[in-house]
Formats: sequence, structure tokens, C-alpha cells
Amino acid sequence: MRKYRMLTLLLVVGIMATQTGCWSSKEIEDMSMYVGLALDDGKPTATEEKLDKQGEGYPKRNLFTATVQIVPVKTGSNNKQEKGQGKGDGFLNESETGDSLIQLMRQYSLRRERAVIGHHLKVIIISTDLIREQNIDKLMDFVLRDNDIRPSCIVLLSRGLARDTLKAGNSEEIPAFKLQAMPRGHFRTGEIMRGVNLTRLNSLIGSKQSFMLQEVASSDGETEFSGAGIIKGDTGRYVGPLDQMDVQSVSWITGDIEGAVIKSYNWHDEPMTYELKRLKSKIIPRVEGDRLSFHVHIESEGRIMENWDVDEDPSQSEFLNRAEKIFEKTLLQMLEHLLEKLQTKYKVDVSGFGKQLSLDHPQYWKKVKDRWDEVFSQTPVTFDVKFTITDYGSSKK
Amino acid sequence: MFTRSDDKITTSQAVVLLTDSILGAGILTMPRDITEKVKTPDAWLSVLLGGIVALLVVWLMTKLSQQFPGKTIFEYARNIVGKIPGSVVSMLMVIYFMIIAGFEIRILAEVNVFYLLEKTPIWAVIIPFIWTAAYLASGGINCIARLFQIIFPVSILILLLSFLLSMRLFELDNLRPFLGEGLPPVLEGLKSSLLIFTGFEIVMVLVGHMQHPQKAVKAMLLGAGIPVILYVFATMIVVGGLSVTAVLRSTWPTLDLLRSFEITGLFFERFEFPFLVIWMMQMFCNFCSQFFVTSLGLSKTFGIKFPLVLFALMPILFIAALIPKTMNDLFALGQTIGYMSIILFALVTVPLSLIYLIRKKGLRKHA
Amino acid sequence: MASYIPDWPVFVQAGVTLLIPVLLYFVHRWFRSVVTNGRGASGKLPAVPEESASPLTGDYDADLDSIKQAIGSNDDLHFREYKMAAFNIRAALLYIDGMQENQLIDTQVMQVLMGKEDFMKEMEPSVPAADKLAAYLKQHILPVVEIEEVQETHRLHEMILNGYTALLIEGTCSALLVGKPRGKTRSITEPTSEALLRGPRVGFTEALSENTLMLRRQGLTELMEIKKYTVGNTLKRDLAVVYMKTIVNQDLLQEVEKRVSKINLDFIAESGYVEQLIEDDILSPFQQVQNTERPDRVINALMGGRIALLLDGTPFALIVPVTFSMLLQSPEDYYERWLAGSLLRMLRFFAAFMSLMIPSLYISFISFHPGLIPTELAITIIETRERVPFPSLIEILVLEVSIEILREAGVRLPKPIGSAMGIVGGLIIGEAAVQAGIVSPFLVIVVSVTAIASFSIPMYSAGITLRMLRFVGMFFAAVLGILGTILFFLLICSHLTKLKSFGVPYVTPISPIRLHDWKDLFVRAPLTLMKLRPEMMKTERKRRKV
Repeated sequence: MRKYRMLTLLLVVGIMATQTGCWSSKEIEDMSMYVGLALDDGKPTATEEKLDKQGEGYPKRNLFTATVQIVPVKTGSNNKQEKGQGKGDGFLNESETGDSLIQLMRQYSLRRERAVIGHHLKVIIISTDLIREQNIDKLMDFVLRDNDIRPSCIVLLSRGLARDTLKAGNSEEIPAFKLQAMPRGHFRTGEIMRGVNLTRLNSLIGSKQSFMLQEVASSDGETEFSGAGIIKGDTGRYVGPLDQMDVQSVSWITGDIEGAVIKSYNWHDEPMTYELKRLKSKIIPRVEGDRLSFHVHIESEGRIMENWDVDEDPSQSEFLNRAEKIFEKTLLQMLEHLLEKLQTKYKVDVSGFGKQLSLDHPQYWKKVKDRWDEVFSQTPVTFDVKFTITDYGSSKK
Repeated sequence: MFTRSDDKITTSQAVVLLTDSILGAGILTMPRDITEKVKTPDAWLSVLLGGIVALLVVWLMTKLSQQFPGKTIFEYARNIVGKIPGSVVSMLMVIYFMIIAGFEIRILAEVNVFYLLEKTPIWAVIIPFIWTAAYLASGGINCIARLFQIIFPVSILILLLSFLLSMRLFELDNLRPFLGEGLPPVLEGLKSSLLIFTGFEIVMVLVGHMQHPQKAVKAMLLGAGIPVILYVFATMIVVGGLSVTAVLRSTWPTLDLLRSFEITGLFFERFEFPFLVIWMMQMFCNFCSQFFVTSLGLSKTFGIKFPLVLFALMPILFIAALIPKTMNDLFALGQTIGYMSIILFALVTVPLSLIYLIRKKGLRKHA
Repeated sequence: MASYIPDWPVFVQAGVTLLIPVLLYFVHRWFRSVVTNGRGASGKLPAVPEESASPLTGDYDADLDSIKQAIGSNDDLHFREYKMAAFNIRAALLYIDGMQENQLIDTQVMQVLMGKEDFMKEMEPSVPAADKLAAYLKQHILPVVEIEEVQETHRLHEMILNGYTALLIEGTCSALLVGKPRGKTRSITEPTSEALLRGPRVGFTEALSENTLMLRRQGLTELMEIKKYTVGNTLKRDLAVVYMKTIVNQDLLQEVEKRVSKINLDFIAESGYVEQLIEDDILSPFQQVQNTERPDRVINALMGGRIALLLDGTPFALIVPVTFSMLLQSPEDYYERWLAGSLLRMLRFFAAFMSLMIPSLYISFISFHPGLIPTELAITIIETRERVPFPSLIEILVLEVSIEILREAGVRLPKPIGSAMGIVGGLIIGEAAVQAGIVSPFLVIVVSVTAIASFSIPMYSAGITLRMLRFVGMFFAAVLGILGTILFFLLICSHLTKLKSFGVPYVTPISPIRLHDWKDLFVRAPLTLMKLRPEMMKTERKRRKV
């Protein structure tokens, strides 16, 4: 009897051991990761067309072309003849055209010996051409919904072909990592926006208000941050770019700035530069009856960091006072220029006026929320700028 | 006595047991649940108010249980209302705890299958968990309390650390305007914030097992207070980090918050990993205590041996966990549990207390 | 509503959910009953047929004959018969060859008894009666400290064979044991299994008397009590129970005495036997009795209200009850200054956790959750693992098993070769395995860190436990990834919470929480702060200081 009991036990254990398995087990070396995703207008690439001609495809509309940057490339086989535009050392770019992002992701698996996984997606680049036609909410739906992709990945716009930004540059670095690291320069200059990750994008899209995204320009594999693109809240589409100065001006208004320089020309038409040390800016919404107006108060402390005028002595307070005035004027001009662009050209608000209004006057905000861009473009805005130059660096001439 | 074999737990163990029984699935979904109702950044206020109400209920339950030292609800319900109604009351509680247990383990499995083990069948996640819990529960309330006490400090530490690290995304503006639309939305949110503290009914069992029942009020209030504070804190951090709109657009907002940043330079670049680990342990604790109370209730009510009930409950809990078909069913079940908690309060706690008071008065008059 | 009724597979799975635990439960019960039967009273061996307790008759020839008959077949038993000149009676010395102190016997016994003049002068005029003679010799004549009178033949045989020199005198009903066996004990050396940088360099030896002596030498006290028990049915040995009289909890003492007296085995070869026969849970992978070679460790435990068991013939003393934290504490913690002691102790806790969990974490990361590894690291791992054809479980098993083999081999090998072996194994095989593409370099790091971490555990036997459990953890991780790892951890914790050592929950003072005892848990508080004895031991005298 005891013998049989042992036998049954062995049988059960045997069945358990062989029938259950490591269901989710996928060895890491059998996978590649896509670290960058570029979305372009739906034009199949040459390779893709060739491949499509040979085999049966699947029903789709060519709404967009998605390019993924895959790392690492298998080192064993010499894949110089691999297709795709970018061919650096450690990565590979692949493009697919279609109308469903997840379907495209699965398509890559048809073309690669290793499955691609999205856990390590670092950056998404959308071309402005695409976003002019497609609502950003639709494009981002998959990446927000997917369980692999982390919301920590950042989103950029590209004025040219988005996939070009993923091309190899001169540096050894993988382009996606480079792009991801670039917003960290935010602390040096106001021309770089704080990086917008998927969570933040989600909240921006959800609020139905207009916002801007960092734009990146590329040429021969070199990439540069070049201003920002405005996305209109109600349509979720691209309306136009802001240049670098405008981006900086927005930062001055919102106060979201950690380091910036302002260059100006003095009374001898010699350049001199102001480096920001501390900034206090406040948007003050005023509601009088039904009339809304904004006043922006900017107070800043900084130092003279470059002065080409050899005849003047920047350590003289007289010089400093005159310089302060000049810088104030320069900034005012910048701000006016930005406001002009926002209120008359694009008719949108991306510089935090609406947000401040919603904080200070929630009741009024509720009324105008749905047509805020319109309301904003007719709202008078006044500026009041105060600069204080506290020091002049380590040179006293 | 050097060795002890009675089922008594120390005061600190009682605190931890209660905390772990409340802290469960809620922390992942609660910010969204509440914000859906409130629609303003004041959700945390609703949680706070809900917590205070829950604390009041806990206080009432503790007071009631203290009148019967050494006895759990399954025993003293009979004393108060008689044998058969008492058994009915016990059964209500048992069913309630059983549904919570099934719900918790299902949520655990869903999150696991979605984020961590994509191809694993759901039963393969649930069954080992039930087994492990049964192994622990077979040791009685003492072993459960000891395990909770080991896990609790670690999980609180990591929970707080996760929240502190997500402070880098925190923007005070996301929590403003404070009471921009006044109190009405907050009260609206109270409806669902009352539901997230389900599980505190375990108080009526815990007090009976306490070594020093005279300290019960303080212990139970502390035990229920810790989750209240944590939940308020969690809501503030999540809403403050994600903003109201993003919270509303997310299924698991707390996880989304933790996945929104990477800490470069640390070995754990991705902080959702330790968070998920301790959350799963917390879920295990939660499940375990519900499992234990369910089996205790059944064995006390029907006079069946405890281990037998444990065995019998395993397949039942498994089936219960698999009844909801979709995520929406599951979230609906979560809501239902909340309503059940209120119904249970209305059907069990209040009448029991009233009848007890009336009887006591009556006795005093006679005496 | 009907749509919510699950499909039939769910019910089948539910059945499995029920069936397997029930099955395991019965297997466990059956196994336990088999195991515990082995040490209970029922397994009693047929005792050696006791010779009827026959006293010596007093008839010299008959007694000598009976002794010769009983144990005379031992060729190393010598009979030295002679005549006691003073009384003019016959006597015999019985001894085992080589075990008596020859010189002592010659000068103190033979000379005294054979010589005529020396003591006859002082002797009282009347020669004592035959029955008093033995006592008289003991009291007045033999200048020997250790002397014992034996009347019972069976015991006499045992004592002679054990190396005592017996003196049988004509006309007396008892024999005198005049010479102690000359035990060959080794010199006191530093304990090899628990070497310390700082602290006393003495370790227990194989002789019980020396060991108890070492304990007595620790300091002047009248509190220490040593009670001796005889264990072993056929080959008997002494087992000493040592405790502090007014510190130890009486219930605990009774429990220990009860368990010791229940020991029932033919022969107790080492204190490991005792450990296995008195522990609470045979099936647990964790040891519930601590063994040590260090007298200072024993004394420390005694002062905390614990009880020590010392067996003759082994340098390993046992300490009960034991809690989990004790396995990771070292006496050095107390000898170093408190800050260093605390840090080292925390380091050890961390190392124990690492040696237990790292391989499982490795498997779950590599095979299940590539999304949880930092990106750059993930890329490196993919690149290095490309040439490895095995799944991570096989890969890690290959290396872990070889490390375990290496370690086992290192213990067996003579010391000089052992260390060379370690280098060969560690460096060359690891390197070669990477080159051959059997394992990835990352894994080599993982495995070596694990191995090193497990070396830092001060208790060797606790290290074995962790090494064993590590493999279990790997299989859990291989099936369910991180969830499996968590389940494994929870299972261990559940088991630990259920485990008790002599009635003390194994995880005290972590839970039930005894904050006083936390001063000596993860940290080692300054000595001035440790005013109380461990609360968990429920000692009779609570305070360390007056």
C-alpha cells in the first residue's frame, strides 16, 4: 500500500514538473529593445515597398510610418547589408508603415530574428508634418496604453523627417540616448524646455489646452534643439513653431528657468551678456467684472558675464545701472515679440496664463475654459521687468 | 509560562494586523477612484474625511467588542441576538471577508499578469498564493501576526521611499486650487472614499484575540489611522505628481507615477520594482488576514475544525477570484465591496450595538 | 448572471488547488510520524541484558575469578597480584594496559601498600576488620586524591575497561578505584570553525572535564550549575547541562531536562546527535540549536538566560534556545566598539539576504523582467549573454553547483592544496566557462558575490541552510519570475514564524516585537545601554546591572 502511495506521489510530481512551465520566461538575450520611436507621415520606405511587392501584406491604410531604433544589434553575424537608414555601431533603425502602432510593432518581429520589447523606450519623436494631420491624442494612444512602455519616456517634435533624428551622428552614442539626455541641459539655458514625458503629455492632452513640445532639428545625424512646436488643445494638432528666443521668453514668463543668458548691445553697439542667477516671475490675472487682463511681473538678479566694450568699466555702478536698463528693454522686446506671435499669429496660450487664471480665479476659468485660446488672444497683457546686476564676475576691468 | 500556545497577540501585533488588513489593492487605484468622483484636486480631502468616518466606525466596533473580552464577533453575536440570528450575522461577515479575499487576490493576479508575467495563466499566479497563505494561516493568528510584523516595517519604508522619490514630479500647482469649487465635490467624493477602507471589519475579530483588550481602542485607532494617513499621502502625491487629468486617464495611476521617472545612478533605476515587490507582499498580508478570518468565522460558526475549513476554502476562494470576467467587472466588484461594507455596518454593527445597549440598560433596571 | 459562472477548467483547477495541499498534508504527516517515531520511546533498542546487580562477595578468589570471567578475555587487561605486607593479605591491581598513570600507581599505591615500615609505626594497634579495611585504606593510608569505592561488579567492570585502576583487596566487599585513566587530550587550540580577530583564543576540546573547566575559569561565580546526564544506551557518555542558577527560566530548564532525558540511542557520537534528538522540528531547514566551539560564546549565552549542553568527546557545545538573529551574530560584535560592531552586524544581515536571494533575482530579471533592469545594463547583459545557449536557470545551476562542489572539495583537501584549489576553481574555471560560452561574465559576478556573501555568515551550519534554500529559490524564480521569488521569500518567512526553538518563537525579537531586545538585534547598542537581559528568555533576574 505504501509503495503505491509513493508511486502516485511520484506520478503527480512528475506531471506537475513537466506540464507546468515557465510561461512568461523569455531569455533576455533572445530579445532586442527599441529605445527610440520616430513617427512620420505615412510614406513607405523603399525597402518596405520592395518587401511588400514580394509577399502578401495585410490590409492597412498608410497613415504613418513608424521607425524604431533597436539595440543592441547582434554582434555575431556581420549585418552590414541590414536594411534601414541608420547604421551605426550598436543600433539599427527599422521603418514600417501602417495605421496601428501595435500592429507595426508586431510587424518588426516578422523581420527580425529577435522579438522587440518596449520596456526601454526612451524617446518618441513625432514629425510636425504628421501631427499637422493627426491628433496627437490618437498617435499617443498606444504608447500610453501599453504595459511595457514606461511613461518616463520623453516626447519631442521634429520639423524634418523624424526618423532622421535617429540617424547616427559623429559621436559613438546611440541617438535615442543622446536625445533623451539633451533636455537635461535645461539648467543651463532657457531655450531648452523641461523634458515632457508621457505622463506629463497625458495630462497636457487631457486638459484640452494648448501646449508646446520641444522641437529637434537634424542634419547629417547631428541633432539640435531648435525651439518648440505648438499643439492646439482642442484639435490636438500642430499649428506652428516658436523659435529659440520665444521658448526662452516663455520660460521667463512661467519662471520655469534655471539658467539663461541675455545678450544685448550697449550704447557703443558692443555686445554684452547678462547671466541669470535668480528669477522671480509672477503672472497676475486681473478680473474686473467681465474684463480680464494679465500683468506679468518679472524680477531677476544676475551678473555681467561678458562685456566687449573695453572702454567701459563694468564695476562702476553707473555702468551697471545703464546696463540694467538695456537688458530690461531687451527682455521686454522679446516678451512683446512672443506675445504678438501667440495672440495674433497662432491665437493660442502656451505660456501658463490659463493655468494661473485657473488657480487664482477658478470660477471665471470655468466659464472661459472651453474657448480659452480665443479669449486669451484678446486679453491685454502688460509686463513689468526689473533687473538687478549684482556682480561682474571675476574680472574687474 | 515560558511557552505559550494561546491565540493571543500583543498590542503592537494587533496594530500591524489591522493596518495590513486595510492596506491592499486600494493604493494602486484609489487616487483615480476618488478623483473620478471629485473631479478637482481636492480628492485627498475626501480621503481624509472618509478616513475619519472609518475611524469612527472602528471606534464603535472596538467598543462593542471590548464588552466581550476574549470573544470574536462570531461568538458574541450569538450572545447578543441569540443563536440563529447570531449565526446569520456571522455568515454575513464570512461571506463579506471571502469576497474581499477573492477580490484582493484577483487584483494582485491582474497587475502581475499585466506588468510582470504576461504569458502566465492567471491560475498559476493565484494558486501558489492561496497555498502559501494557507500554509501561513494554518499557524493561527500568532504566526500571521508575526509575519506581518516582519514585513510591515520594510513595506512602509519602501512605500514612503517611493513616495519621496516621486516628489521630483510633484508640483504644488497640480493640487491647487484648494477647494476651488467649494465643498460639494469633496462630499461627492466621500461616497467612494468611504469604500476604500474596507477590511477594517476585522477589528471585531482582532479585539477578541488581544492580550490586553483594555488597550484595544488605542491600538485599533492607530491601526486604522496608519492606512488613512498613507492613503491621504498617496492621493496627494499621485495627484500632485500626475495632475488631475492624467490621473483620470490612467488605470493604475500610482504605478504610472512611479514609472514616470528613472533614477540614474542607483542600481534600481526603476523604482516600480521595489514598489511592486512590497505591494505584492502587502497584498499577500491582506489576503492572508481575510482568508484567516473567513476560515475562523466558518469554523466558529459551524463548529468545524480549523484546518478542515482552511482546506475547504482554498478551492472556493480560487473560484471566487475567477468570477469577474473583465477588468470592469473587477472594479465594479471593488465598488460593491465598499457598499457591502456600509450595508454590513448598518446590518451588523449598529443593530448589535443597539441591542446590546438596550439589554444592558434592561439588566441594570432589573438589578 | 449565468455568464459569471466560470468554465469547467476553473473547477478542475479549483480541484487541483484543493487536492495538492491535501496530498502534501498527508505526506507531511506520514513523513513526520515516521521520523518522530524514530526518536520517541518506541524506537528503544533492546538494552544490553543487565547483569544482575551483584555486589562483590568479599571472597577474594571468587571475585577475581568472576572478573576474569566477565572481562578477562580482553587481552589488554592486566592483573597485578601482590601481597600487602602490613596486613599480610592479598591484593590485586586491575588495569588496562597503557591507560593508567604508571608512576602514580607505583609510588602512591604499590609502594605504600607493599612497604612494611613506613606506616606501620603510625598504625593503630588493631588491624581493622575486613569489612572496614577499604574505608580505612581510603581514609588513612592511600595518598591519592581521587579514590572511589565500588561494590557492584557490573560497574566495576565498566570502570576498569574505561581505564580506571582498581584495587581488589582480600576480604573486602568493595574494590577501590585508585587511578584515573590517563586520557590523551589534545592541547587547547583556537577554534577553527569560528575564528575571530579579537577575542579569546581558546576553544573547547574533546574532554568534558576540560570544557567545564574552561567555563568555570571564565569567572568567579556560584551561580553556574553543571548537571551531568548519561546518554547512550550501549556506549555511555556524559552530557553536561550548564546554566546560571538564578538567571535561567525554570520552565525552560525543565523542558531541556525533559528532552535530554528522553534521548534514547545506542551511541551519541557527537553533539550533533544530541542536537537532532532534542530539536523542535526535524523537517525544518533551519537549525534550532546553536553549536559553538567558543567558551566565551557559551558564557555569553548563559548570562542571557540560555542553557548550554556539553557532550563528552566533542568540542562542540550546544546552546538552546536559539533565535534567527543569533545565527548572524558573532562574539566579536561585542568585543569591538559598538559602532563597528553594529555596522558589521548589519552587513552580515545584508549578506545573508544576498546569499539567499541574489540568484533568484538574477533569474527573474534575466528571464522574466528585462524591463526592470536599467537600460544600459540590459544592453550589456544582452551582448554578453548572446553566446550563452542556456536559459538562465541552467546557466546559474551549472555554476552554483560547481561552486558547491568546489567548496566541498576544498574542505576535504589538505590545507595547502585547499587554497590552491580555491584559486584554480574560482579564477580559472570561471574564466574558462565564460570563454567557452557556458556562462556569461555577469553571472560569474553574481555567483561569486553570492558565494562570498555566504562565507560572511558566522555560523557554518546557518550558512549551509541558506545555501540549500538558495537552490529552492532558484526554482521558484524559474517558474514565476519575481512573483515566484516573492512567494519563496514569503514561504520562508511563514515557516520561520511558525518555527519555535524550545518554546521561543524563532523570529523573536523582530516579532513578537520586543523593543528592548532590539538593542542587540541589527545593531549592537553600547554596553552601557544593555541593562536588561533578553526579554524573550523570560529570565528570573531581569537586570544585568545592579
